[in-house]
Amino acid sequence: MNWFNELKSDFILNFVNDNRWKFITSGLKNTLIITFFSVLIGIALGMIVAVVRSSYEKNYDEMHKGVKKFFLKLANSVCKIYLTVIRGTPVVVQLMIMYYIIFATSRNSLMVAILAFGINSGAYVAEIVRSGIMSIDQGQLEAGRSLGFDYKRTMIYIILPQAFKNILPALANEFIVLLKETSVAGYVTIRDLTMGGNIIRAATYSPFMPLIAVAAIYLILVMFFTKIVSILERSLRKSER
Amino acid sequence: MSDKFLIETKNLCKHYLNGEVVALDNVTTGIKSGEVVVIIGPSGSGKSTFLRSLNLLEMPTSGSIIFEGKEITDPKVDINIHRRKMGMVFQQFNLFPHKSVLENLTLGPIKLLKQSKKEAEEKALTLLERVGLKDRADAYPSQLSGGQKQRVAIVRALCMNPDVMLFDEPTSALDPEMVGEVLDVMKSLADGGMTMVVVTHEMRFAREVGTRLIFMADGAIVEEGTPAEIFDNPQNERTKAFLKKVL
Repeated sequence: MNWFNELKSDFILNFVNDNRWKFITSGLKNTLIITFFSVLIGIALGMIVAVVRSSYEKNYDEMHKGVKKFFLKLANSVCKIYLTVIRGTPVVVQLMIMYYIIFATSRNSLMVAILAFGINSGAYVAEIVRSGIMSIDQGQLEAGRSLGFDYKRTMIYIILPQAFKNILPALANEFIVLLKETSVAGYVTIRDLTMGGNIIRAATYSPFMPLIAVAAIYLILVMFFTKIVSILERSLRKSER
Repeated sequence: MSDKFLIETKNLCKHYLNGEVVALDNVTTGIKSGEVVVIIGPSGSGKSTFLRSLNLLEMPTSGSIIFEGKEITDPKVDINIHRRKMGMVFQQFNLFPHKSVLENLTLGPIKLLKQSKKEAEEKALTLLERVGLKDRADAYPSQLSGGQKQRVAIVRALCMNPDVMLFDEPTSALDPEMVGEVLDVMKSLADGGMTMVVVTHEMRFAREVGTRLIFMADGAIVEEGTPAEIFDNPQNERTKAFLKKVL
């Protein structure tokens, strides 16, 4: 039983002594806060970009000349630049640019991280949502429009609910990736879950316990989230045989 | 002239690919209230394009459409208001698969006509009963047969209290044994005095229910008249050739 006693003393050293477990719990709290709010920003941003992009693709040629047409083209160009830049650079670099350059005067690193991860996630969500919108048969749009709904309301009542059902697995995947990506938040002095484990490791010189604990917590979070999504998916499928 | 017709088209043209393809070529005609206008013609003759341009699902390249005295091709007109008055039925039904039959029927009346949920549902159920589908109100479209779907689609358009119904090959996607049930609903609509514009390949329906027939070819109206005139005594060679093939 020697190895068991070793494990036990290792556990006490890493988590019990000096209340080190608090690094894990407070880190977990920060990780969840960052993930939750950047998911919200990501969805909002992604939806807007996707709707702009797909309405440009579907409507632009048919539109009458005028201010609306000009703004749609402008908005579409802005969205394309956003997608190219965000998807073309690493999230860590974006995070550091936000923290050290754009918000250099702000000390609220949590807020900056939420923004950075939200803006980053928005780009991926946008392409997922756009693919969902494009997957819906053109006839659905025509049916909505012929009842007298304008483009926006056809989107809200008819296209997006169906698109959402189709893209749910891809969307869930994106959020799992986002949750894990927040582990680089330590680059801008945030004590997230990963950083919490790392602080313990640096203090105890014993890497095994803190790192395995951190990994296990991420794993449990992802499994929990996956379960919730599959329940949601099943309830959305009720309109199919 | 324009108040005589419910819908009037003047020199309607639709070009694709910068004029390389001409789908509609100077179509000028009018549809009066209470008429059942049946449009026939070979495939690619522009009949669906013509029908779909009546509520601007296809934007005409040039020409004008006047609906209830209002030029709806004018860019300043809010087409969404006028589309409420023009019910449309599609070949592929286009029911909303994520909504139940009743929700399909009440979405427009509740959101656009500002009816109360109860009011909209009562009307929807009355109309559903008339097409024999009251017991399927809570079903989802995927649980219905093709003929049932199309009957629901017709009711969906009727729930908006339209002044005219546009049918774009409503029976072409149906199994043969389901064509009759849909045509029956359309016939009873016509008997009730509904103004209808129907693109179809059902020649018997055209003859029995149509009050006027339009024969189109190459994007233009070749010949029009009463069903008896067109079927029994066609004047144009192309009409003769077409009817010989389909009758």
